[in-house]
Amino acid sequence: MEQVFAYPAKWWSEAVTVWLVVAVVIYVIVAIPGLYFIMKYRFKPGEREIGDHEKHGHWGLEALWTIVPTIIVLVLATYSFAVFKKQRTAPPDAMTIKVTGFMWGWQTEYLDEKGNTIKTVVTSFNPTSYEVPEDQKIVVPAGKPVKALLTSLDVIHSFYVMPARITEDMVPGRITHLWFQINKPGEYWIFCREFCGTGHSHMFTKLKVVPPEQFALWLKGETNLADKSSQIKGNL
Amino acid sequence: MREAISVPYFGASLKEWLFTTDHKKIGILYLTTSYIFFLVAGLFGLIIRLEQTSPGIQYVQPDFYNYLLTGHGAVLLLWWAIASHIGGFGNFLLPLMIGAKDVAFPRLNALSWWAFFGASVLVLLTLIPGNHIKMMWTGYPPYSTTGDAGVTALYVFIIHLIGVSSIATAVNFITTYIKMRAPGINFWNTNMFVHCLIAANVIQLVGVPSLAGAVTMLLLDKYLGTNFYNPTKGGDPLLYQNVFWFYSHPVVYVQILPVFGFFSELVPTFARRPLFGYKTMIFAVWGITLLSFMVWIHHMFVSGVPDWARVIMSYTTILIAVPTGIKIFNWMGTLHGGAIILRSPMLYALGGIFMFLIGGLTGIPNSMVAIDLGISDSLFIVGHFHYVLGMALTLGLFGAIIYWFPKMTGRMYPEGLGKLSFWLTFIGANLFYFFQMVVGMLGNPRRYPDYPPIPEWVTLHQIQTLGALILGLGVLVFTIGIIKGLLSGEKAPDNPWQSQSLEWRIPSPAPVDNFGEEHPKVEPDYHPYKYGAPPAF
Ligand SMILES: [Cu+2]
Repeated sequence: MEQVFAYPAKWWSEAVTVWLVVAVVIYVIVAIPGLYFIMKYRFKPGEREIGDHEKHGHWGLEALWTIVPTIIVLVLATYSFAVFKKQRTAPPDAMTIKVTGFMWGWQTEYLDEKGNTIKTVVTSFNPTSYEVPEDQKIVVPAGKPVKALLTSLDVIHSFYVMPARITEDMVPGRITHLWFQINKPGEYWIFCREFCGTGHSHMFTKLKVVPPEQFALWLKGETNLADKSSQIKGNL
Repeated sequence: MREAISVPYFGASLKEWLFTTDHKKIGILYLTTSYIFFLVAGLFGLIIRLEQTSPGIQYVQPDFYNYLLTGHGAVLLLWWAIASHIGGFGNFLLPLMIGAKDVAFPRLNALSWWAFFGASVLVLLTLIPGNHIKMMWTGYPPYSTTGDAGVTALYVFIIHLIGVSSIATAVNFITTYIKMRAPGINFWNTNMFVHCLIAANVIQLVGVPSLAGAVTMLLLDKYLGTNFYNPTKGGDPLLYQNVFWFYSHPVVYVQILPVFGFFSELVPTFARRPLFGYKTMIFAVWGITLLSFMVWIHHMFVSGVPDWARVIMSYTTILIAVPTGIKIFNWMGTLHGGAIILRSPMLYALGGIFMFLIGGLTGIPNSMVAIDLGISDSLFIVGHFHYVLGMALTLGLFGAIIYWFPKMTGRMYPEGLGKLSFWLTFIGANLFYFFQMVVGMLGNPRRYPDYPPIPEWVTLHQIQTLGALILGLGVLVFTIGIIKGLLSGEKAPDNPWQSQSLEWRIPSPAPVDNFGEEHPKVEPDYHPYKYGAPPAF
């Protein structure tokens, strides 16, 4: 079986494919005849000067192109509803992090089962480059669902986990949530996608996905992950 | 003779323009103002586009970029996409199409215009450094209540003035349609443009107060210390979004419905055949109007509102595809069996319908909440609404400008420039906005002056800039066409397109007193799309 790269990205990509197929089919069904009519029914002096002026409509056709699209869109919406439920419901074994957005950076807290903070990572504003210092990256274990509780200190931000294809706003005074699971270790983008002012386009960080055993060490403060030897050991 | 009084509008004295209550002159005032604002906001857009051509900050600093983006959005939505066809074409065409002398309340109409003019002056004031508004046209709190957002008060007053203007116009137009139709004009032989215009104004009447309320609370919060949206004092920033989008979603139908009207006028005229499914078109228009107030949460699918609200509005949103689909199918049905003349207004109409088809199909993933969670606030949505509100609307308006140019000015728009500008605009826009959707699908957030140097993103941004330059050239050629048409265009006959509709029965340009009497004689079997005879050209 093919290895799934990330959740809920997998379901998201499937939904995008479904939409794309439907859209291309509808496009072809409408655009090709449209172009053909424009070619065929052309005004020609002396030959074809008036259009078909008897036909004002066709109840059968009009009913057809009301009912069939209604069915298609209801099916699409229901399918999307089913996917949405999975996207919004974190698996019970998910670990929890709490991310707080601010102008312009993030504070990530790792919580234990009781909700106490074990470790905190702060990503600070970097207006000039898209590099993230090693100790400011958000680290999560590979292959394990992560539930992120989101809020903001000042204005509305959002938390877009690019590899997981999931976004949720960070609203001051509220706690919102999303969950994701990345199965392949590596570094991935996180962006703020809700407009938040001057530094908006530099409100980003890297999500560092590491093997679980290495993550456990990192959480306990026994590795800073920068050391290459510990990474190799972790991969073994 | 009636021709004697058909002096072109630019022949009227300045005093006449300043004190006019004539619906045609007011229409032209709106249209001219909107067009100039469209050019400026378009230029803003071009700078925004150039800045994104490569990663890093090249031409404008983020704060100025944010101002350009705010101005681009607000001006194109409120001036180009509303004022030009409600205030502009609506004013010019409504009385002519229903056979009336003027609108119901001509002086109220002048008041609408002057309120709109006031808003235009306030927009110009934001050009002064220090007056910049940088909070995007949506003005979400708490950001808009911070110092970083710029002069929120100016924004609020602009919305208030536009709101006064819109409500007065809506009352005026709805009354005009109900009370001032010529005998013989009824619901079932009214032009589609008028149906669309009235539906749009019903939305204005119901929705504008909601927006006005939203921004008034914003003003009180920022300057007088209330806490409607302040979460630290018991307020809720999402309240703003709800009240804001309750109007600002339906407003996209205020913007696009009259354009559907343009398509429905132009396609039968140039296909020389009746509009296919005229009656279902009317139901579709009112169906869209009704649904438009039940979908606003789709702007808030990731805002933290409850999941059930997202699911419900996902269904209502996707249902809008049905009436809009009906309209596209009916235009195709009109082409079938026609005798199609591809003059430049028709090219613009067909191009606009084509853009709208893509715009509609790319709207579906935004309504499917599961997909939207992954593309919300990315450049995908920006590309999508530029297909619909950007280009379907602009192509429709350009087509309408060429089509009614003779009736407004007494001269023809130069056909060659019309065709050239169409192809440039059409190709440029597709190149631009299609690849904007692609880069958005890949994850590129919106409202970013800078972005990480991801190779595919950079390539896609370069293609977009190329498209934008071609698009800009198209708009430039179109504008040259307007100037050339005004100065040296061919003298227009009364009915250059051989239309059956009422407004073409009077001389070009339209005389001051329209039909010369209270109402024109309308034959019992009058219909604006009764194309039964060969055209006389
Ligand atoms: Cu942010």
